[in-house]
Amino acid sequence: MADRGSWRRELEAELRAAGRVVAVPPAPDLTGAVRQRLAAPARRRRHLPALGTAGSRRGMAWRAALAGLVTIGVLLIATPQGRAAITGVLRFAGIELRQGQGPTPGHGRGASLPGVRRMTLAQARHRAGFPLLVPAALGRPDEVAVSGGGRVVSLIYTRTPHGQLRLDEFAGHLNMLMFEKFIQFAHVTEVRVNGSKGLWLTGPHDLIYINAAGVPVAASARMTTGNTLIWGTGRVVLRLEGRLGTAAALVVARSAR
Amino acid sequence: MYSGRAFGRLRRVINDAEAVARARDGDLDAYAALVARYTVRAHRAAFLLGAGEEADDVVQESFVKAFRHLARFRVGEPFGPWLLRIVANETRNLTRSRRRRAALTLRLATAQPGGAAADGPVAEVLAAERRARLVAAVGGLPARERQVLVCRYFLDLSEAETARVLARPLGSVKSSTSRALNRLRGLFVDEQDRVTNG
Repeated sequence: MADRGSWRRELEAELRAAGRVVAVPPAPDLTGAVRQRLAAPARRRRHLPALGTAGSRRGMAWRAALAGLVTIGVLLIATPQGRAAITGVLRFAGIELRQGQGPTPGHGRGASLPGVRRMTLAQARHRAGFPLLVPAALGRPDEVAVSGGGRVVSLIYTRTPHGQLRLDEFAGHLNMLMFEKFIQFAHVTEVRVNGSKGLWLTGPHDLIYINAAGVPVAASARMTTGNTLIWGTGRVVLRLEGRLGTAAALVVARSAR
Repeated sequence: MYSGRAFGRLRRVINDAEAVARARDGDLDAYAALVARYTVRAHRAAFLLGAGEEADDVVQESFVKAFRHLARFRVGEPFGPWLLRIVANETRNLTRSRRRRAALTLRLATAQPGGAAADGPVAEVLAAERRARLVAAVGGLPARERQVLVCRYFLDLSEAETARVLARPLGSVKSSTSRALNRLRGLFVDEQDRVTNG
């Protein structure tokens, strides 16, 4: 029935959707190990082990050698002495927080996510590769946008008691980065949302979208407004952004279903 | 609205290009910034391209090699894709050295604990099952076809980028893609037609 190109397009779309949820084990922290090897004399150069066992043992030793690795549910990578500002990285549910300079923003035209398309909530539910959540506390969004071929859904509320609010959602539990944020860690605190860990970020910070190839999309770079709450439900990760306080943000988060 | 001045506050810290330039001069702290930034992406690529459980080793080796090859890095080139080419090459070296060419086991990340998926609409459950089988089928494809599909659809690279990362001619990438899609079609599209039409 379907013409030649259409089955191919459908299969390609299915593959892309599947790629968003394919299981990838957690990435290791390699800053210490790589640094150590590069600092060592060249005679210590070696080839990859042919098979797993020796390599895994070595891998464990590297990981054990990463002194100062702190886990508080999220991962905080130890930073080489003297330049903490460069390598500070905090990863949480597909969002990487970095201490340092943000990317150069687009040419002042207003940033946007790649392939952004406005649509109805129902269309977005169909298009998203994950079950969309809507906070009852905010009612129906004034605008719904899907970006990155269904990777991110954004709900925009233009008139709330807190001014404009933006809620970005994407599939949870991915070992895949969706956004990078550039912020001083002093502005990040841990909060509880529905029994799970969330992060509360105070003050504007730089934000950039990471595409499926893991490359930051320059045109998406922007400075956020107000404060941001990041939390997850196990299947979906959400980031709420706007000029509202912790208590109000948590009320919104708890009403998402 | 999002003008450059908003970034002034943070400007003293280095970006990729500056980190590469400094790393090239032997600054390991600057290179550590790049390692921290690109580990997750490199690891995902290595795992999906066939390194499997040895992705950690592959990525570490790739970062070490990338550092030693920084002189070949062209100024202004994005660091990510350049690194991915090295990762793909290291993965190839690893899989070549393996005696058996084992298929890659690919699964979905959302194995739903507590039956979250079972609570969802039937269509959603069926879609998830189909997706799981599709991903497993990709893992079972011949390596050359699998790698092309991984690059094109799981890493979202263009045909040209795929050719570059896999160090293969563009024509070979195109033909492998078609061959792999046809193979999957045999397994999946006909089945869907049967379901929707019958």
